[in-house]
Amino acid sequence: MIRHPHRLRRRSLLTGASAAAVLAAAAACGDDGPAGTADDPIEISFEWWGDETRADLTNQVIDLFQQKNEGIKVKANFADFPTYWEGMAGRMASRDLPDVFQMDYSRLRQFGGAGMLLPLEGVVKTDDFREGFLDTAKLDGQLIAVPAAGNTLGLIYRSDWFEQHGIATPAPGYTWEQYGADIAALTPALGEGKWGGGDWAGQYHFMELWLRQQGGSFYTEDGKALNFTKEQLAEWWATTADLYAAGNVPPVETTIEWTEDGLVQDALASEIGWDNFMPGFSPTVAENGGTLALAAPPSLDPGNLGLYLKPSMQLVISGTTEQPEAAAKFIDFFLGDPEAIAILGTNRGIPATNTGLENVELDEYAQAVLDYEASVSEYLTTPPPAPPAATGAIEVKFGEIYQQVQYAAMTTTEAADLFFTEAETLLASEQ
Amino acid sequence: MTAPPTAAPPAADEAGATAQAKKQKGAAKRRPSLSRRGELLTGYTFMTPWIIGSLVFTVGPMLWSLYLSFTDYHLVLGGDFIGFENYRAMFEDPMFARAVKVTLLYVVLAVPLKLLASLAVAMLLTQKRRGIGFYRAAFYMPSLIAMSVGMALVWKALFAADGPQDQFMSLFGWEGGGFIGNPDVSILMLVLLSVWTFGAPMVIFMAGLLQVPGELYEAAEVDGAGKWHRFVHITIPMLSPVIFFNVLMETVHAFQMFGPAFIIGGTAGGPAWSTLFYTVRIYALAFVDLRMGYASAWAWMLVLAVGVVTLIMFRAAKNLVYYAGEDNR
Repeated sequence: MIRHPHRLRRRSLLTGASAAAVLAAAAACGDDGPAGTADDPIEISFEWWGDETRADLTNQVIDLFQQKNEGIKVKANFADFPTYWEGMAGRMASRDLPDVFQMDYSRLRQFGGAGMLLPLEGVVKTDDFREGFLDTAKLDGQLIAVPAAGNTLGLIYRSDWFEQHGIATPAPGYTWEQYGADIAALTPALGEGKWGGGDWAGQYHFMELWLRQQGGSFYTEDGKALNFTKEQLAEWWATTADLYAAGNVPPVETTIEWTEDGLVQDALASEIGWDNFMPGFSPTVAENGGTLALAAPPSLDPGNLGLYLKPSMQLVISGTTEQPEAAAKFIDFFLGDPEAIAILGTNRGIPATNTGLENVELDEYAQAVLDYEASVSEYLTTPPPAPPAATGAIEVKFGEIYQQVQYAAMTTTEAADLFFTEAETLLASEQ
Repeated sequence: MTAPPTAAPPAADEAGATAQAKKQKGAAKRRPSLSRRGELLTGYTFMTPWIIGSLVFTVGPMLWSLYLSFTDYHLVLGGDFIGFENYRAMFEDPMFARAVKVTLLYVVLAVPLKLLASLAVAMLLTQKRRGIGFYRAAFYMPSLIAMSVGMALVWKALFAADGPQDQFMSLFGWEGGGFIGNPDVSILMLVLLSVWTFGAPMVIFMAGLLQVPGELYEAAEVDGAGKWHRFVHITIPMLSPVIFFNVLMETVHAFQMFGPAFIIGGTAGGPAWSTLFYTVRIYALAFVDLRMGYASAWAWMLVLAVGVVTLIMFRAAKNLVYYAGEDNR
């Protein structure tokens, strides 16, 4: 307890405090007025997910943009994929989204469906996109995103190890059984701490691929329900059971600690994945003395690989932006300016615009991706409609529950039951 | 004369405040004099920033979340009032049982271990030795940094496969690998982190130990009581208000465990939900699943549970805690 408070200056202190408060309030009322000059620039924010390499390139392009557009300042920020989306969810709720931000197809409905994104028809340039790239940028017929690049699934593999151990080069029509057999042959040959391939069963995208190969889909057309049965899910999760039990794919105890991809760590000989990841992995793999190549993913049906062209990254404008023109200008610059494209290269994937494709310098790896996409172009089928808003959460849940199977804490049937309960709750929560 | 052990522990905390209030009950009832009212006004004026802050950033959001807990509020789509549906759904949610189990296991393991460690160290550090100040500071150090992101990352590295823990334990035939990838033991990693940060209860124990009147020990020694008897019959009873305070604070804190668990296990409480703490699940429900209404109901359930646990402890304390100088106890 204070026994002798200093009372002398109480009044003057109070006066001072209230005066300061009034001043602060007055200052806050100041208006920006007509903005957009070098002295009084307008500011737009731009956020994306990625790593430091991407940040370096992106910041260079932002500097260039600011040089060429003196009245606009771009405030940039980035995070890794899960953190990015956790942050965006909160900011969406508080209507505080960045003016321009990077979007993923799996989240397009979540944001677009809630009216959070600005319709882009007539706002940004749309005449230069490569064929098929805008198909996945629309929600219920309205254009709300533009792709920075596109990708599709493929099998990324160590051609040197495949060759060395006498494994035939995978070609379209390669079956899941054959892939499993190849992994089983490779793992013992590669020795301690290396595996022929990764456990593919925990990835929602790969199950979608598998369902599409059977003419199915992950979600129903209206996006309100799962479009497969518990039995199918249990069957899918069992596709790697033998490989897992025999130790031919890396155990979860090991992969849970991986902060880098298995290919980069010289630990995996192959993995199903997005083709645009390959150029990112290749330089490190080359340092390890290896060579990466791309092939069509394994399939159930040689005539139907289940593939579609997915936007790997999209750019969107917040529906509440106060600077739609500046935001659009930035997007046009980011996707269509030859210099910007030269800087960005293929970091976000092979550019989605024709100008982009002409101006990007393709290294051998990026060229390999382009060649791969050309080689499977006849297999690319209609993309699924933008998945339901809960997809992000469902995708996380899919991996989490599969981990229970890996740890043998649940059977595939129990896990499938649980997944259905969880996914249905999530789907119901948004209706 | 040394202050009686009834004095509130030095840490300015709720329980301390309660003890203070109790002592002043009689005094506070009198109508304040004019000059006293002036003092009050000054006091409250200086408190205004804090009061506004707590209204805007604590009380307001809490009331809002209480309201949300009765809705099916989706972070993006909004929601409607659904009564007690969220609270009912919780008991059918398989993840609820898991999160409760993990959290309780942690509380049961971490709180006693941490208190034992802090009491033991406090007893060592209240001895009169040269350079004791240095040791006190050194033992308090981990508490300053432990709940930081950096420490959680270091911890993660310590318990990785082939990390220090794995290598050390392998010498003794351990085959479970790093704790990080092993759901059977991963929670121990967080328990150890908590035990290691015993600084706060240690300081409080030290204050309590220093206030035990020395003549009690002298008298007991004269009567021929050994070290153990002196500990059990003098130290523990005289320290019981402080022990109670520490048990209470640590339990409440343990229920709210979040930061390190979130960094080490992620929103999914990996590996295999073995670190799926209640609060981590709340976070995932709110910001991954976007089910803010349901997450709020979870949060209020936690408030309720911690409240009940605290109440039980206070009841139990009536018989277990000895307040010297209060003869009605």
